[in-house]
Amino acid sequence: MVVLRAEMCPGLDEDLVKDLRAADIKTVEDLVSSDTEEVAQRCSVSYKALFAIRRVLLAQHTAFPVSGADLYEELLSSTAILSSGSPSLDKLLDSGFYTGEITELSGGPGSGKSQVCFGVAVHISLHLKQSVIFIDTTGGLTAKRLLQMLQTETSNREEQMEALQRIHVFQLFDVFSLLDCLYSLRAGRLQQASVGGGGGSVKAVIVDSVSAVISPLLGAKHNEGMSLMIQVAGVLKTMAKDFNVAAVVTNHVTRGDGGEVQPGLGASWSHIPRTRVLMEKLDRTSVVSHSSLRSATLIKSSRQVTHSPARHGAQSGSCQRSEHKARLQTSVGSERPAECRLQHKHLDSAEPKRFRQVSLLCSTCGER
Amino acid sequence: MTESGAQLFARLEARRSLKDIETRLFPEDGGPDQGEVVELYGPEGTGKTELLYHLLCRCVLPVASGGLEVDVVFVDTDYSLDMLRLVSILDSRLNAARSTGSPSAGSDEALLRHCLSRLLVVHCSSSSQLLLTLHFLETSLSSRPGLALLLIDSISAFYWQDRCEGGASIAKQEERLSKCAELLGRLLRDYRITVFATCHAIRRSYSGPSSSSSSTSSTSSEYDRPYLCRPWQRLVNHRLLCSRQEAAHNMAATAGGSREQRRRRVFTARCTSSRTKASRSSSFCVTDGGVEFM
Repeated sequence: MVVLRAEMCPGLDEDLVKDLRAADIKTVEDLVSSDTEEVAQRCSVSYKALFAIRRVLLAQHTAFPVSGADLYEELLSSTAILSSGSPSLDKLLDSGFYTGEITELSGGPGSGKSQVCFGVAVHISLHLKQSVIFIDTTGGLTAKRLLQMLQTETSNREEQMEALQRIHVFQLFDVFSLLDCLYSLRAGRLQQASVGGGGGSVKAVIVDSVSAVISPLLGAKHNEGMSLMIQVAGVLKTMAKDFNVAAVVTNHVTRGDGGEVQPGLGASWSHIPRTRVLMEKLDRTSVVSHSSLRSATLIKSSRQVTHSPARHGAQSGSCQRSEHKARLQTSVGSERPAECRLQHKHLDSAEPKRFRQVSLLCSTCGER
Repeated sequence: MTESGAQLFARLEARRSLKDIETRLFPEDGGPDQGEVVELYGPEGTGKTELLYHLLCRCVLPVASGGLEVDVVFVDTDYSLDMLRLVSILDSRLNAARSTGSPSAGSDEALLRHCLSRLLVVHCSSSSQLLLTLHFLETSLSSRPGLALLLIDSISAFYWQDRCEGGASIAKQEERLSKCAELLGRLLRDYRITVFATCHAIRRSYSGPSSSSSSTSSTSSEYDRPYLCRPWQRLVNHRLLCSRQEAAHNMAATAGGSREQRRRRVFTARCTSSRTKASRSSSFCVTDGGVEFM
């Protein structure tokens, strides 16, 4: 909704705005939807002038149509696939987190959502030399843990510090400060963050966890809560697309009517992330002390065919991951636009990907 | 309002009918006529957007590859259009046509780009922007006679925002979508285009924990009821109810650790037309190359 104001466009002056208001035309939508001829008569302005105003306002406030070919071209040159730092997770995600979209990690407590987020943040800042925005809504992020993860990667103190500089942390504990933060990031602070701390542009915005601030709002009469949830989703989506960042959010899990585990936040949220990963802790298979096996299952993807997960398939695609150490494609591929296309060609011909499930070995010894 | 001769011609000259856009989806001889609206309705992960890609590809592909060669507008309110996915589907369709038919002229890339140039994409982030954009699209419609299909993914994207911003009065809550529907109705009459729009199923019962979504099986009736404003409901001529089989089953398999294995998820779209009262169910599965009917 955009309220009509004088000087919004040439020809729209104080008097005309007043006249229009008297004719019950207060917003741009009102003016555009109304019959121009009738309004011109009622407000005694020339039809031509009003028509011109309508056209300018329309052009200013509309979403502009883009040709599919141009969009594709733009996408090829701007999309980056950010490696998560774990080869098995990358494989699951079709080589990593894609910029321009929302990826959701959902799982119960201790399923390794946050650890994966930390791992991604560390990987992007240290190896891809890009900035990361980390929005922590649970208070679960500690600099100590980040440093610890960095120390396993590199012993160079300077590199560690530089990497930490590139991780911008916001600790917010309610939905309003989250929205505030996201809006200000979208309004330009994202670029500032890029220029500031240690160079490298912001490539990822991580919200851990999005459900912590939203789920308390969803009550019996949940109009307002739903609206706030959709607002959070909207700003994340537009930010991801306009600034070409990967948005990664974490979600909790609930049990459905049949007792099955499913991501939280309900049916309306389920449409929001383009890729959803369900993380689970596999209790039975704890291998080493301090470590336990986690599994990640792809449950929604716009690019890959998600087959029904098969439990015994888990081990076939398994890959152990201890202390986030195994990994790293040597080509530090932050921008790999040319490969996108290849990837997809590959996807067509590749053997049917039946088991979209991998196991992650996630150490928790750092927590102690 | 004046219009030039070219505009008049573009407006009145019959646009291509899309009755045969996908015969496997609609009842016998019941495809969407010019000026009709098809609503694809279903919860997350039931193949709505995937079906849109399928229809989109069918429209923009050259006749030699089994397409219709018409222009398409994609109104993306969910930011769900995945160009890479679309391109890979187009690619596989082009390849399939090439292997069976005569070798087509031009390289893959050029042909692909040519197909994509028949597509116009708009991203809308609020219902007022959607309304303004529909107004703005009128100029595109009048200047491009080849434009015959409008896809909206999804029409329900701003439902909750409108509900909240409208305050207590239902009329105010539904005002913008009603206006969009009215405008769309006029565009359909004036330009004889066909509209496909997706609509998310929402959970509206206040029983039980509201933060959890429920399985599709037990509460299907609750999911099926239309909830968008009356003007939109009146506009819809065909309704495709999308569902996914064994969805609840699959989830249970994940949780319970059962060893059951299903290789493919089967999607079903059940079409009911308000005009003929005929209905038809069709099943398809989603592969790397897009929708495949069974």
